Amino acid sequence: MKRIILVLVSLLMNAGILLAQETKIDVFPAAPYDRFIIYQTLAIFWVGIIGLIIIIRMKLKEIERIQSLGIDKEDKDTPLLD
Amino acid sequence: MSYQRLKDWFEERYDIEPLRVFAKHKLVPRHKYEILYYTGGIAMFLFIIQFITGIVLAFYYVPHHEFAYKSIIEIVTKLNMGWFFRSLHHWGAQLAILALFIHAFSTLLLKSYRKPRELLWLTGIVLLGISIFFGLSGYLMLWDERAFAAVRVATGGAGNLPLIGNFIKSFLRGGIDVTGETLIRFYAFHVSLLPLVTMILIGFHVFLVQYHGMSIPLSQEKKVHGYTPFFPNLLYKDLIIWLIVLGIMVTFATLLPPEIGKKADPLAPAPENIKPEWYFLFLFQTLKFFPGEIMGLNGETIAIILISCGIFFFFLIPFFDRKSSRGEKSVLFTWIGVLYTLYFIIMTIIGFLS
Repeated sequence: MKRIILVLVSLLMNAGILLAQETKIDVFPAAPYDRFIIYQTLAIFWVGIIGLIIIIRMKLKEIERIQSLGIDKEDKDTPLLD
Repeated sequence: MSYQRLKDWFEERYDIEPLRVFAKHKLVPRHKYEILYYTGGIAMFLFIIQFITGIVLAFYYVPHHEFAYKSIIEIVTKLNMGWFFRSLHHWGAQLAILALFIHAFSTLLLKSYRKPRELLWLTGIVLLGISIFFGLSGYLMLWDERAFAAVRVATGGAGNLPLIGNFIKSFLRGGIDVTGETLIRFYAFHVSLLPLVTMILIGFHVFLVQYHGMSIPLSQEKKVHGYTPFFPNLLYKDLIIWLIVLGIMVTFATLLPPEIGKKADPLAPAPENIKPEWYFLFLFQTLKFFPGEIMGLNGETIAIILISCGIFFFFLIPFFDRKSSRGEKSVLFTWIGVLYTLYFIIMTIIGFLS
């Protein structure tokens, strides 16, 4: 009997704490699967960004190489073909 | 229609040759501090992101004190990717203001405000002020207890200004206290008035940058080692930096989405340990250092007057710094710039830690 009362009291106390707890609004999907997909997408996003940066860097290097050779300037005396 | 035909169609109607020639001849000097040229571009990029994410959020947000809080919870919990767009808008704002502060302080320290760029400085500082007001008005949209208390403190602080204080406070609040009227007003500022003024000012600011060209710091005038064409070299570099900033913003938005507190209750006391957004911390901390009463006068009013004077001096600094305008070294204003920068950083850190 003593044990049952003790269990009941502790149950009530825990329930009281739960009731008094502030409800926190989920600002991020709570399901583990959704979370996994989001983190995976973030990693892929960064791979995409790094890839784009590498492509732009390569393009920039090529432009700088052409500029250093001086062949990017338009020749004014070039004959035009109609 | 092929690209060439489209191009021909356009060129038959509009003469864009002068623009093309201008883009080709725009040069950017190379020196020790050239990295700081990118901060303005970063801020502009973040403004564009803010416009896009803001428009998306405005489709679902209800600007009424009864429904505002609920509509945000629905955006975050029910809409597909709603949490992400809200978080992106939040972090975009933080990074945009950070970029603007870095841009402003670097301009101050390198004295890029000097003749003939005074108007550039003035438009830039007004844009910084508008961005801060963007932040404050956007914060109230949440209509939770923290946002409510922060706006009450901020508008109350403005009310301490002598003569015009009460008018500003009533104008911002739309009444005596922060109510549903304030929310409607702040919403109107946030989605119509401020974006309109921002677009006009950014347009004018960018036009002035093109008109005057890039400023070279006084200390670097004889150390410039060549010029880089803006198009395409610097544009590509800008793109790289924007991609990195986008990556950082998305990472923050994903890993640290902003919390939502309890719904605002005008009758409830302000929550404990309330702090404003980080860009208000230096003001908040300054106000905290002032006693309630100084020689029989209200301490807060004195603090607000001193802060306003400091901001006013900061705003008009190009007109006070005569030496820099003449192209001479001005040690005094270098120290003033350092003092402003350090004060902002130290007070923000103290405010954050206390």
